[in-house]
Formats: sequence, C-alpha cells, structure tokens
Amino acid sequence: MLRKLMISSCLAVVALSGNAYADSSTKVALVPGGPHPYFAAWEQAGADAAKDFGLGSAEYKVPQKWELSMQNQMLESLVTQGYNAFLIFPGDPVGTVAIANELADTGAPVMALAGCLKDPSDALFCMGTDTGNSAYLGTKELLTKLAGGKGKKIAHFTGFLVDPNTQLRIDAVNKAAVEAGAEVIQVIADIDAPEPAEEKINAYLAAHAKDVDGIITTAWVPAVVASNALRKIGDKRIVMVGIDHDKVVIQAIKDGFVHGTMLQNPYGQGYIGSFAADKLRSGCKVKADAPFKTNALTNKFIDSGTVFAGINEADNYVASMQKITKTLLASFEKTYLSC
Amino acid sequence: MNSQLANYRESDWFGPLLITVAAIVIVSVFNPEFLSPYNLQILLLAIAVNALIALSQMMIIAIGQMNLSVGAIGGLAAISFGGMMEVWLIPWPVAALLALGIGLFAGIANGVLVAWTGISAFVITLASLSIFKGINLGITEAQPFYKIPEIVKLLGNETFLGPLPWLILPTVVVAVGLWYLLSFLPLGRFILAVGGNAHSAELSGISVAKTVVAAHAISGLLAAMAGIMLVGRLQLGQPTIGDDWLILSFAAPVIGGAVLTGGKVSVAGTLLGVTIVVIINQVLVLFNIDPFLVQVVLGGLILWAVGVNRWREVRAQKTEKRLAA
Repeated sequence: MLRKLMISSCLAVVALSGNAYADSSTKVALVPGGPHPYFAAWEQAGADAAKDFGLGSAEYKVPQKWELSMQNQMLESLVTQGYNAFLIFPGDPVGTVAIANELADTGAPVMALAGCLKDPSDALFCMGTDTGNSAYLGTKELLTKLAGGKGKKIAHFTGFLVDPNTQLRIDAVNKAAVEAGAEVIQVIADIDAPEPAEEKINAYLAAHAKDVDGIITTAWVPAVVASNALRKIGDKRIVMVGIDHDKVVIQAIKDGFVHGTMLQNPYGQGYIGSFAADKLRSGCKVKADAPFKTNALTNKFIDSGTVFAGINEADNYVASMQKITKTLLASFEKTYLSC
Repeated sequence: MNSQLANYRESDWFGPLLITVAAIVIVSVFNPEFLSPYNLQILLLAIAVNALIALSQMMIIAIGQMNLSVGAIGGLAAISFGGMMEVWLIPWPVAALLALGIGLFAGIANGVLVAWTGISAFVITLASLSIFKGINLGITEAQPFYKIPEIVKLLGNETFLGPLPWLILPTVVVAVGLWYLLSFLPLGRFILAVGGNAHSAELSGISVAKTVVAAHAISGLLAAMAGIMLVGRLQLGQPTIGDDWLILSFAAPVIGGAVLTGGKVSVAGTLLGVTIVVIINQVLVLFNIDPFLVQVVLGGLILWAVGVNRWREVRAQKTEKRLAA
C-alpha cells in the first residue's frame, strides 16, 4: 500500500512539472546487479519516465543472481533486443567497465546508477547516493541522539563486501565517530541477505547488547533485521539509525525502537536517469564543465540525494523522497546537459 | 565398557561431537555470554533451520549426487508461503501445506529428470535452480511479502522450556524420522545402496530410478520446510531466502562424515556439522573478526573441522587394521 502511495505521489510530482515530450525511439534498460528490494522503485520510475517524457520504453530488467557474468549476458541480450540506452548498477566497478564500453560502442548512452564504475570508462556519469556522506550523516544523527556521542560505543552493520560502497561507508562511520569522540566497537559486514543478517545480528546482540549504546546500519537487509531484533529483545535503550524505507524499519521508527533512517532516492535515480538517457539520444551532450562530484571511483558523480527521516517524518517520508527528485530534476538539464 | 567406548569412537558422529564440545568449552571460557539463555536460543534457532537445509542435501549425497537447487526450492516455498497468506489470505496451516507440496513437487521433478534422462544431477539441478529462482523473482519482483500472521511470527521466534525455540520441534521430528528411515526402513537402505553402488543395487533388485526420485522428493520437502520456517523466523517472505544455502548444505554433512560419492551419511553427524558451522559463524561475530577476513577464517575453520574428523577416521582405521593383524 505504501509502495503504491509512493508511486502515485511520484506520478503527481511529475504531472506537476507540466513537461510535454514527443515520442521517441529511446528504449532504456534499467539493469541492477541482481535482485534486491532497493532497486524495485526503478521499475515504476522507468514506466513513469517513459510515459511522462514520451520514451519508446524504459524497462527494469533484473539478473537472476548477483553474478557479474549473468548481468553481462543480460546486457548483451538486451542490445540484440533493441535497447539503445542503459542505466546499470555495476555488478563490479572494474569488471563491468568492459561491457559498459561495449554498449557505448553501439552508440547507446550508458550511465552507472546507484553505484559507480571505476574511471576510466565510457559511462557518461554515475548517479547514486553519496554513500559515504549518507553513512556520515546517519552516524551524526545517531551520535546527536546519544548526547553528542562522546565516549559512546556504536556498532555498524553493513552490506556486501564486494560492493565498493561498503568500505566507503565503514570509513565514513568511523570518521563521524572519531569526530564526536565515540568508538565503533564492531563492524559486521556481508550481511545484506536475510539469513546471515539474522544469525549475526542476533548473536551480536545476545552477547553485546549491554555493551553498545548505538547501532548504525548502512544496508537494507541489516536495517530490517536489526529493527526486528531490537523489537524482539524490547530494547529502546540502544539508539539505532537505519537506512532506506522498508516497512519494517518505518514501523520500528513509529514504535520507538529505531531513531530514524537515511532515505535514499532509487526512484529519482531511475526517473531522472531515463530522462537523461532520452536527452542524450536526441542530441544533447554532457557538459564538459558540469559540476560533477568526485568519489573513490569516478570524478563524474551526481548525488541523487539522501535525507534523514525520524519519528516526525515516518508518516510522510514519501514527501521527503519526492522533494529530492523534484529538486534534482528541475535543474538537471541546465546543470549537466548541453542541448 | 571399553568396547562400547570403542564403538562410539568409531561412529561418524564422535569426531564432530568432540569438536563441538571443545568449541563450546573454549568459546564460553573466553566469552561467558556464549552460554546465556538468549544466545542459546539464537544458536538453536540457527541450528533448527540450517539442520533441515543440511539434511536436505544429505539425502542427495546419500545417493551419490548433488542438489544445487536446495536453496532455490527453499526460497520458492518461502515466498509461496508468504504470498499465499498475503495475497490470497489463505490460512497459514493450509499455506504451509501447499508450500510443502511445492517443495515436494520440485524435488520429484528433479528426481524424475535425473532418473529418466540419465543426465547428471549436478546439471539437472543447476538448470532447475535457475527455473525455481526465476519463478521466485517473477512472482515477487524482488519485493518481500510482509503480511505474515502473528502466529507464524510467534512460532518463528518464541521459545518453550527456557531457551528452546518452537522451530526446533519440526527439526527434531525430521532428524529422528530420517535416522529411522536410513537405519530401519527399506527405502533408507535402498538409498544408501544406490549411493554405494548403483549397479550392484540394480542387480539386487532395487529400482534405482524410483530410489533417486524418492531421495530428491525428500530433499525438496526438507528444503521447503526450511524455507517456511525461515519466513516465521525472519517475519517476512524474502525473495532472497535460500540464496546462500549452498556452502552450508555441503559443509555440514561432510563435516559430519558423509562421503560425497554416496552410500554413507550420518544424521547425527550432519546435525553436529551444522552445530559446528553455526558456532563458527557466531565466534566470528563474538570475537570481532575483521569483516574482510571473515570468509577466510570461516573457510579455514571448516577445513580444520573436516580435517580433524578425517584424521580421527584414518587413525581409527589404522588401529583397526593393527588389531586385526
């Protein structure tokens, strides 16, 4: 229900923008690295973009597993099916460069979405959450709630180690902790799947719940599992900041087991990415002097936005996400494209 | 008394039992919280589900084959269970039975394809893994089912008699049932005979095809049961359930003394193998191992556990030979 509400609201945002676009032959493929709830918003984003901007189509295509070879095969297959623009979450920041370059050689605009390719690559830009910044801001929110954080002990639950963002998140959480005089006493990683997350987070809390003042989670599944775990042990002393907008996390915020969550903007990534793909196919170029940010992988990074949602925003977090998309879209063409 | 002890020492489960006891003692000395009631509950919850996964694979190892689709069957049963309750509002016991039926059907399909085509189970289950996972993703579009009835959540997380989770009960029933099947029933003996030497089994009148189908059917049923139990434990029907079952499903039976070429498996050994893997996983958390080294340490500890068990077996065989001479 909430998902439908979010989608409808996003549609409304687009309608309000009042843009009218001619039909185009652009066929966009939005391809994540594998199945994951984070990317589900891309499907509606693509459909909305196709409708609102008159694209031929913008379809969400999911590889069955998180395997680079499977994603590569799917991308090759999509070329033969007539797709001519690609928005890709790289299965591997280096390993995906070759296939991205191959796709670009066919004349298709290629953009990295939600995660970046390692420079140099033929990807026109990378648009995603500034993961380090999101983790840093989330930790700051956590430590503020912990009376500034001085002397406090926090645990960090995060995602796949093969994801280059994971190290950025670990570094950012450590940085925020050091700045506040807090200590990250444990990092549990590689738990962006339900069973290992369940086992490891519960084992950690069983042994160390009394030793820890706060928990920061920087991946979807650990946020869900940690929310449930705190509810299960009935612990409202431990302050937790999660990530993303899973129903379990939002409900835990409302019930007081979780302090808040760092929202990301997957819908905006898919929607604006599809818009940009069509513009680039119709003759626009990426501005040479576009104000890209730099991260550990690329110097062509666009932050798709992040915002903290606490108890006051738990009921209307969709509005927070809409606001990010609307702001970014309003200035995107002028800022990044030369048409 | 001495001969009884010698018998125990020669059994498949004795080595894993020693390793388990040693691990519990060592870990609890360094971290007394390890034996706290809550941690015991967490351990038993993990063992309850992981044991079914390992036993599911063990039944296929028993016939000298491999089932790569254990996780995909479990995942499909899990999301079917969650989906039937959320979308069709089917009462949970009926949904559980139907999900078990899906697992059974998937197992039978694997078995029939292996038996009637003669193609290796490795290849067949590799293909069916893809099919089952594809159906899973087609149904869920990678989105979990959230509307799990409270009773299912309670059964997945509540305990009785102190730290004993309710989920341990079906696992105990299954383990005893499999032990009885493999030890006393004709089907169990057929399964081990086919695994030991399919040609000899056939010559002695055993239907290899039917036995293979039966083993795969049991495997599918157990995988589905594990998936259903995980829905209760996780309190949602996650499409990724089953994605990382493969290593555990092989590691536990092998640690428990199973021979990968078939004909020799141990239910008790497999349960202890599961316990060892679960303890190892917990140890990595309790002792704050660097996350980038966790996989290395996990692999090393599993190798160590298998190695200790193998060393004990070789030593026992040598002693036996010496005594016979």
